[in-house]
Amino acid sequence: MNRFYILISRVAVTLLFLWTLAGTGRALDSDALSRQAGELMAQGDLPGAVELLRQIPVPPKGADAGAFVASRMQMARIYVSLNEADKALAASREVLALFPDNSEARNAVAAIQKQQQSRWLSLLDDSRKFLPALLKGATMTLLLVLCTMLVSPLGGLLIALGRISTFRPLSAACWFVIWFFRGTPLLLQLFFIYYGLPAFGVTLPPLTAAVIGLGLNYSAYLGEIIRGAIQSIDQGQMEAAKAIGMTYGQAMRRVIIPQTYKRLMPPIGNEFIALIKDTALVSTIAMVELMRSADQLFNTYFNITALALAAAIYLLLTSIFTFIFEKIEYRAGIYEHR
Amino acid sequence: MNTAREPLIRLEGITKRFKNLTAVDRIDLDVFPGEKLVIIGPSGSGKSTLLRSINLLEEIDDGVIRFQGREVGYVTSHGRRHLDRPPAVCALRTEIGMVFQHFHLFPHMTVLGNVMEGPLIVRKMPLNEARQVATDMLSKVGLSDKRDVFPATLSGGQKQRVAIARALAMRPKLMLFDEPTSALDPELVGEVFDTIHTLADEGMTMIIVTHHMGFARELADRVIFMESGHFLAQGNPHEFFSVGQENERIRSFLNRLL
Ligand SMILES: Nc1ncnc2c1ncn2[C@@H]1O[C@H](COP(=O)(O)OP(=O)(O)O)[C@@H](O)[C@H]1O
Ligand SMILES: [Mg+2]
Repeated sequence: MNRFYILISRVAVTLLFLWTLAGTGRALDSDALSRQAGELMAQGDLPGAVELLRQIPVPPKGADAGAFVASRMQMARIYVSLNEADKALAASREVLALFPDNSEARNAVAAIQKQQQSRWLSLLDDSRKFLPALLKGATMTLLLVLCTMLVSPLGGLLIALGRISTFRPLSAACWFVIWFFRGTPLLLQLFFIYYGLPAFGVTLPPLTAAVIGLGLNYSAYLGEIIRGAIQSIDQGQMEAAKAIGMTYGQAMRRVIIPQTYKRLMPPIGNEFIALIKDTALVSTIAMVELMRSADQLFNTYFNITALALAAAIYLLLTSIFTFIFEKIEYRAGIYEHR
Repeated sequence: MNTAREPLIRLEGITKRFKNLTAVDRIDLDVFPGEKLVIIGPSGSGKSTLLRSINLLEEIDDGVIRFQGREVGYVTSHGRRHLDRPPAVCALRTEIGMVFQHFHLFPHMTVLGNVMEGPLIVRKMPLNEARQVATDMLSKVGLSDKRDVFPATLSGGQKQRVAIARALAMRPKLMLFDEPTSALDPELVGEVFDTIHTLADEGMTMIIVTHHMGFARELADRVIFMESGHFLAQGNPHEFFSVGQENERIRSFLNRLL
């Protein structure tokens, strides 16, 4: 007896539950959906709102389509604010599929398309606006790079020759230069030269300070590279040169150093690529070069296009130099290819 | 030997030490103009060090080197002996040609460039003249057709002949050969010996370190056996290579080589 009641009550509860569910389903009709979507929007949950709105079904032919049209247009607005122009267009076109003459949907499509197009146009506009300043900055960057490329191999060679000299004070001095400039940040060296030296009565214009800083730093790096290359040349080459009566200087200039070119090109190429990017550091000592120009534009217009363009110019510069170095490297080792 | 003539080079008690190893120990030696001297001896006996001391690639610790009767290479200042100033050292080296076991050609220069380098840079000849000298030397060693290639493309024998031409282009009075054929494949040894032979026939004074006894016997006016920095014995090749060689060390050395 008891068992029977329990069974009955269970069935009843289940039925009640199913009915409630069905009732809820019916309760979430178009009006309820749009109302709930409105609440979610008010809470800032735009994706959630879109999901609810999407559930409002396409009405059967001849039925009232007001809720449907309203939901799709609302979705279009939300998508526009989410920067999803394609989905906004799709929502508007759902309306147009049923009502090709719906003016609200037509206007929305036109506006979204115009906005989409003007985004590309505005990129062009921005580029046209930013490029002159960026190219001017890039010219300065290139000037810095070329000056350092001119100065540092010579400085590096002197440091390298000093390091391998048997005259101890000279070799020690060159060791110190390498130790110091490789062991401290370039940024700090630039600060010291530009902001620190005036305290010792030496005030340098930014460009001079930048070239001195970059030049010294890169001379120290190249010095170690060049020293390694010189010492890697077979000892017999120096002896053969001496045996025909050459002085140390002649042997270095004619026999040893020319043989280092091929070995030097890959590491020096690497250093120079790093240099192109390191020039960005001199923007901190009042130099207006590429990085500084991009930074100024970005801070004025809050537009990342300026940064993207600067990145593109850096990439262009590094690519060009990489290409040139590879060509030179091949030429320098030509006697091994023939 | 001919004592009436003055030796081209005279070594008086030259000594070279590496740390506590005496590689060349109080060596005396006269080499007369036109003489062909062959030095043999086991590896590590100081033969290379002796040759390198003669053209000042090694700075000796003791002894005197005279070239054409003149003391060369070293000066004494403040009671300390040291290598002479670079111009004097280089000047002596231009009079002495040296050929190395491993050639040491300049790989970044063509064959002609290698041979021209001395006349052009050291002698400071005009380009045309230097090129003429180099061309002559290359035809002398039979490599005129290789003048425009880089050393990397040459065989070992050809490389060594270019090295000989490079030394000859300085018009030296004395040639030093340090095992000129030891790095060569056996079939390439002959062409280098032929080149040296031609040079010998022209009257060049030369000191040759070699392990090829046949060549030594054929070419030498005098053979010296060196061991542990000393000259153990010397003589003309006939006595030296005869079965009656009385020195036990030399006999066993020769037996091992033959
Ligand atoms: N630069 C050097 N430093 C130290 N020891 C050396 C040096 N050159 C040669 N020696 C030593 O001096 C000795 C003579 O060497 P070397 O003249 O090359 O002999 P050889 O040419 O007869 O084989 C050897 O024991 C060698 O190890
Ligand atoms: Mg040797």
